[in-house]
Amino acid sequence: MKQRIRTSVLIICVLLAAIPLFAGGSQEKSEKTTLTYMETMTSPGRTATIQGIIDAYEALNPEIEINLISPPYEQADNKLTLMLNSNQDLDIIEVRDHTLKQFVNNGKLEDLTDYIASWDEGDDLLPLTVTAAKTVDDTPYLIPQFFFVKALFVRTDILAQYGFTEMPTTMEEMYEMAIAVTEKAPNQYGFGFRGKGSAFKVSDPMILSDVATIDLENVYRTTDGTFSMSTPEAKAALDAYVDLYNRAVPADGVNWGFNEQVNAFISGTTPFLIQDPDTVALVNEQLGEENYTVIPLPVGKSGKSFLDYGFAGLSIPSYSKNKDAAWDFISFIANAENNADFCRTYGPLPIHASTYANDDYFSSGVYKSWEQEMSDPDTYKFVKYPLDSPKYPGWAQVQEQYMQSLLLGDITSEEAIAAWESYWE
Amino acid sequence: MEDKTYRWFLVPALILLVLCIYVPVLRGLVMAFQNYNMFDLTNIHFIGLENFSAVIRDVHISFGQILANTLVWVTASLLFQFVLGFILALAMKEPFRGRGIYSGFVFYAWALSGFAIGLTWAWLFNGQFGLINDLLVRIGLLESPIGFLSSKSLAMIAVLIPNIWYGVPFFGIMLLAALQSVPAELYEAATIDGAGRVRQLFSVTIPYVRPTIISTVLLRTMWIINFPDIIYAMTSGGPVNRTNILATQMINKIFKEYDYGQGAAIGVIIMVLLFVYAIFYLRVTGRQEEEF
Repeated sequence: MKQRIRTSVLIICVLLAAIPLFAGGSQEKSEKTTLTYMETMTSPGRTATIQGIIDAYEALNPEIEINLISPPYEQADNKLTLMLNSNQDLDIIEVRDHTLKQFVNNGKLEDLTDYIASWDEGDDLLPLTVTAAKTVDDTPYLIPQFFFVKALFVRTDILAQYGFTEMPTTMEEMYEMAIAVTEKAPNQYGFGFRGKGSAFKVSDPMILSDVATIDLENVYRTTDGTFSMSTPEAKAALDAYVDLYNRAVPADGVNWGFNEQVNAFISGTTPFLIQDPDTVALVNEQLGEENYTVIPLPVGKSGKSFLDYGFAGLSIPSYSKNKDAAWDFISFIANAENNADFCRTYGPLPIHASTYANDDYFSSGVYKSWEQEMSDPDTYKFVKYPLDSPKYPGWAQVQEQYMQSLLLGDITSEEAIAAWESYWE
Repeated sequence: MEDKTYRWFLVPALILLVLCIYVPVLRGLVMAFQNYNMFDLTNIHFIGLENFSAVIRDVHISFGQILANTLVWVTASLLFQFVLGFILALAMKEPFRGRGIYSGFVFYAWALSGFAIGLTWAWLFNGQFGLINDLLVRIGLLESPIGFLSSKSLAMIAVLIPNIWYGVPFFGIMLLAALQSVPAELYEAATIDGAGRVRQLFSVTIPYVRPTIISTVLLRTMWIINFPDIIYAMTSGGPVNRTNILATQMINKIFKEYDYGQGAAIGVIIMVLLFVYAIFYLRVTGRQEEEF
């Protein structure tokens, strides 16, 4: 009796432990090919759009079934990393600009060169799309799905109240206008400051656009190899930036993230805002298209404007068993029509040149400014952050700490620059 | 011989326990001594105490400041949560009309998510549109709104207030349950002996609910030190690191820097601090127990 119970308990344990094996095995037996697609920049509206495109694809290809996994945004990158690392069933994955390098390093992504060469829409991709695809090792490990590029949102109605009708074309002009409106009325400020949460992505391009010798491959380096913030031009621009904070931004600005920034713009507290295109839908909805406009980012004293571009795209894991089927779906979701639909509901910039010429939505209105930024390479320089550096992930916190100290008057601009330089050494 | 078969029935539960609790803890412990970075997963190896020294000797993000912030965060939260929670429990002890509904209202904070609380209070403290600034200006305490969350001296207070607000109901619930178990005869006897209300509180009530106080205070300490949600939603540890505690820095290391090794090292530091605290705390409270 005792022996029998002992044996049965053991058998149950073994069976329980084996359940995942059987679960994995039974999936492959079905006739349909199931592709597992994991998105990482999850948001409810976006997931619905993707699901719509999947449904359309499945209707055209009844032998394919696509299983979409949408982990919560905050955990998605980590979850994808862990799943890739243990070679779990994945065929299509959304890879972000800052995770691309690590996945390539770990040998997890398929080279898409041949697929793209055989794609009939490959020639319609924007030059920026091709550049972004080949970010690592000059090899296309992903097809970008969209871009985030910053531009200047302007409350034309507020500026008109104070007699400003001309849009600023240089940073200097924008600073002057922001300071001028601040002095006109109580609780009226000029600039929608970014104080926390990767604030360097707003402040540093503004400051460094005064430096003519920036190395486009690393915005923190000049062409002769010095730390770009240490140049006299950058020091003067940093002082001007602190002056802008003191004279055109509420004291609270040090703690402003995305929500506070956008809220201040919509409420009219600050008529200038530097943001990405996905803010358009939000502002249209809450403010109305007629009350604002978007203009290209004003140029600095170098005569240029430095823009960084954020993107995410689709890749195929190197160990996927359904690579051809996965590519077929990728070429469907990334074609000009579907990509334009996707970007229209989600907000960022589409990847095909033809979209900006033919699509009613993207060829008109505020998107004109982004098109201008992407088609005038002499004025608008796309620069890179040192994403490859092991120090880059810690940079946001270090930059923010010294910038906040500087803005609150604890340290001088020389001390802040010296601290930043010592971080990168 | 006694039938020991029953022991085998413990096996599934033990397996679950080990898998769900001890494996992750051990894994974290091991990770703290490894070079474990998401950017470089092909290069995982043991590096001794390097993660600890990187965190503790960081020249840019001061570890001393983080420790001091953690101490203030835990002590102030605990003290006010306990005192206010105790007062709440005393006030709710005697039955009164509508006590059920009232307790629902005062205890509901405990059911909210920390992150949601942080986001709500961040708006309440907002420097331009915030309700708190608006009220203070209207009643004349302030001339113009101030940026609570951007002020180095006020930011810690601003994140402590919602945390205290959040934790009071916990002590309220636990202590109320304990208070209701104090036999009425003790109070009768104390009254006959001539003890006043204050004397009764310190000589009857508190000694009687002491075990509850000891265990809840210990539990709460652990929860508060491991509770970054509110700070993260309100200030992300800023301005200038003034509200950055060990738990928020651990999140920075893992979710922003993808450095699991250093994140785990901070986790181990928290564990050691709590361990030392628990031993010390239980010894002190245990000794007092003997004196009674």
